[in-house]
Amino acid sequence: MKIQEKLREIARKLLAGGEAGVVIGYAAGSEVSRVVPAFISREEDVDRLVWNPLCINNLVKYLLDYRHEPGKVAVVVKGCDSRAIVRLLQDNQISREQVIILGISCPGLINPDLVAARLDPEAQIKAVTTSEQDFSLQTEREIFTFTRDEALLEKCRYCEHHTPVISDFIIGEEIPPTTPLDPFTAVKALEELPVEARSAYWDKQFSRCLRCYACRNVCPACTCRECIFDQAEPCWVTKANNLSENMAFHLIRAFHVAGRCVDCGECDRVCPVNIPLSLLNRKILKDVKELFNVPTPGTSLEELPALGIFTNSDPDEFM
Amino acid sequence: MKAYIMTGDNLGAWLDTLARDFTLIAPVKEEENVILFKPVKGFAEINLNYTNSTVSPKGWIFPQTEEMFYFSTAGGQINLTDVQAPRPAIIFGLRPCDIKGILTLDPVFNGAYPDPYYQNRRENTILVGLCCTRVERHCFCTSMGGGPTDGRGADLLVTEIDGGYGLEALTSRGEELIHRYQGYFTPDQHSRVILAREELGQKLAGQFTRTVDTTGVKEFLDQNFELPYWDEIARRCLGCGICTYICPTCHCFDIFDFAPDGERGVRSRCWDSCMFSHFTRMAGGHNPRPTQKERVRNRFLHKLKYHRDRYDLDGCVGCGRCVTKCPVNIDIRQIIADLQEVAQHA
Repeated sequence: MKIQEKLREIARKLLAGGEAGVVIGYAAGSEVSRVVPAFISREEDVDRLVWNPLCINNLVKYLLDYRHEPGKVAVVVKGCDSRAIVRLLQDNQISREQVIILGISCPGLINPDLVAARLDPEAQIKAVTTSEQDFSLQTEREIFTFTRDEALLEKCRYCEHHTPVISDFIIGEEIPPTTPLDPFTAVKALEELPVEARSAYWDKQFSRCLRCYACRNVCPACTCRECIFDQAEPCWVTKANNLSENMAFHLIRAFHVAGRCVDCGECDRVCPVNIPLSLLNRKILKDVKELFNVPTPGTSLEELPALGIFTNSDPDEFM
Repeated sequence: MKAYIMTGDNLGAWLDTLARDFTLIAPVKEEENVILFKPVKGFAEINLNYTNSTVSPKGWIFPQTEEMFYFSTAGGQINLTDVQAPRPAIIFGLRPCDIKGILTLDPVFNGAYPDPYYQNRRENTILVGLCCTRVERHCFCTSMGGGPTDGRGADLLVTEIDGGYGLEALTSRGEELIHRYQGYFTPDQHSRVILAREELGQKLAGQFTRTVDTTGVKEFLDQNFELPYWDEIARRCLGCGICTYICPTCHCFDIFDFAPDGERGVRSRCWDSCMFSHFTRMAGGHNPRPTQKERVRNRFLHKLKYHRDRYDLDGCVGCGRCVTKCPVNIDIRQIIADLQEVAQHA
């Protein structure tokens, strides 16, 4: 809870001094297992801000809503989210001067389904402790302990940046970057399959896509003023929901974010029918890393997207 | 109303037979945590271990993409051809909230302006309801006038009972279905089915974790179109279509032609979502709902006011799908509670 207190303290100062017009952070949600994005602009609302292992949403994309507003915007980011800030800066979507980055050193998040299954939905989290072995959530009445093995969110199992890669404040003790054993185990398992099996796998996934566009709307690499999937003229992909159109949507999107996807995992989280979108994006991430020998996009401001630059050392075996 | 009893073993055999004689739509476990209503070839494909399907089963009466007719302009003539009418279908395993969802759609498509596509499917589809056996944390059907064992609207209602299943024929169509397959059932001589269903209903009624009270909400909204509250909600809305596409009562659609060679093609309609920015965009570029605020407001007014204005029915059945799936926790139960609180202090 030290992080939460510190966060509120900084937010209060920023708002009181007029340094920031709004602080984008997390507040308690409608159930114990959920948090909501909160937009705090008054000092007296600062105590709504929370920090706990359920703060999964990447809030960075909301910065786009303030692009044309006067004043500075403060935003709470975890390590994974901070790469999205670099994405928006490199894509000239936001200016560095307009943003105050409240970076949190994040030891990993908890799977909200497990919290929902064990805690009364109306309960409130009063205190949190995380150790190398487990998460403990303290409510008004009880302490619930979850082992990291059972409860750590899938994306956190291959976390590279616990501490944000870019920030104005670092809240919590810095956790050095780690190299997970093999972040691409699932991608490799799929690569091993014969091409027909891979094709059948993705056909099955894409055929249930609802085309709700949540994956696109939440994605910090998707910032086109008008998305081609929203264009009526010319109509590149029709609204018809069938495998062919759904596949076109997903493949176009995957290639559009190739080399720019910061691997924040939000597309996976929001998909209402559990299409493993990060598996698709991480396949491309793996290829880009291997071909161009680059870090995960968004890792540093100096490292431009591999497909957005040209160097003489680029692979050109197709020439 | 007549009731019948069926052994557990007979359920599988009966559904295998139904799948042979009809297009049988039933819940299928598509992936971990994804249950979808799909056409099945038999009982083996069906998964009955679910409370709510991930996407509502409305799509079998009102498909996400539905071909309306084929056209051709070859030879200077306009020729229209009807699409083939769907086979008679049975939807098995509809939960009470989803049956109520279909009853909510009926006056839209079968009212003053009958919609032949909807009508055709509705008339050719037998609805077999299945009472809930548990209440999930997001369920609030009892707050919206329904209940986990309230099968009104189904042709046949199935309840799990000791040693098998109880069936109640609620319409003549349900009765005919029983009659046609009578070998699978025995008449319920001692009112076991009704008693079991009522007992189950009482047990489940106590399991709802959250109830909402809509009293006065519509009347408040009648008087208050502009509320700063909608700005607050819209600020976090992603503008995706999850809530509208998984909802059992949302029914907006768009019509488009697909004619790759420009001469022959098909006219279809497909679901649209009032959450999308281009939903109300007009040909000249004007958009009467220019920001997410107007769109979010429209959705909740549709659920809580407009549907009641038009049809005297709530636009929400309390299935809770949007509650669990909204990525930014826009929770209609919370919205109803907030509006009610404001209304009381207004």
